Amino acid sequence: MSRRRRYDPNIKKNSTFALNITSMTDMFTILLVFLLQTYSTSDVQIIPETGLRLPSSASQSNPVEAIKISLSGEALKIDQTKIADVKNEDFLPQDLEEKDSNFIKPLFEELDKLAKNSSDKAHVKEGRILLQADKELPYATLRKVMYTASMAGFPQLKLVTLVGE
Amino acid sequence: MRRAKKIKINHHSEFDLDLAPLLAVMVKLVPVLLVSSAFVQMMVIETELPQVVSEAIQKQDQDKTPTIIALEVDGKDGFNIVVTEKGQDKVENVPMKDGAYDLPALHQKLVAVKKAHPEIFKLELNPDSKVPYKEIVKIMDEVRQAHDPSVKFPVFDTKQGKNVDTPYMFPEIVFSNMMEG
Repeated sequence: MSRRRRYDPNIKKNSTFALNITSMTDMFTILLVFLLQTYSTSDVQIIPETGLRLPSSASQSNPVEAIKISLSGEALKIDQTKIADVKNEDFLPQDLEEKDSNFIKPLFEELDKLAKNSSDKAHVKEGRILLQADKELPYATLRKVMYTASMAGFPQLKLVTLVGE
Repeated sequence: MRRAKKIKINHHSEFDLDLAPLLAVMVKLVPVLLVSSAFVQMMVIETELPQVVSEAIQKQDQDKTPTIIALEVDGKDGFNIVVTEKGQDKVENVPMKDGAYDLPALHQKLVAVKKAHPEIFKLELNPDSKVPYKEIVKIMDEVRQAHDPSVKFPVFDTKQGKNVDTPYMFPEIVFSNMMEG
């Protein structure tokens, strides 16, 4: 019986090999260009609320430091804290003042508290508000927020919009 | 004299470019840019006004009998541009077109109003309760400045002592019916 010869690959023990990184460099260059395009120069970062569709506008002003209010079809929030519920594009009757249907009681209380506790901050002193509102909401609902905010000493309202269509 | 030694250059030789340092830089740059990237760009509606326009607005605020330009937005009638001058109202209507707001027609009418009243920079916006927020933002876009770059409006610059041109029409928008019950 003939014995089969064992396969012996020809490997040099101390050899080095050069990794071809040209394609990887190409990929990184494309990635770099894309990231440079989306680079944000704004000082203030706004985190988009889930379930809230912002309107788009041609405005090119960067957001400034302010109290962030979001108004979606479900809730009114300050930062991430829920202030009042929204149902059928309107606030619930228990959250509104009986005599004045534009006055949102919990929003006024919260803004009043912020004005008293953070009075040393420039944006609170100047009464700046960044409002993120759902694009399908009617003006009547928005007006209630604007009205209450100005009553609480926050008359500078800035509407947050998306860039382009 | 000794002849200079001729350097032999092999024009057919190949060499490998070392891309490793370039890749090292990119590997560091990519995470930095990823952190500071804004994939959804958000802006605010607020116009940065040039000094001349700001001065004109202040001057307008000091006026005891100012000319008031108001824009009423209604879901049925469309737009009503109300110009109050010396206590008298002059109303101009921009009707709806195919069930939607006729924004180009509104823009043209406002350009004409601005040309007639170049000293006015404030516009009172009175939307109806049912007007959706997205329509209000679109209307504000039409009102703030002229879309055509060749259309300019003169403003008197007190420092230079002459008129300067700006593209701004009504950069100061006030929701005047906000406090109404």
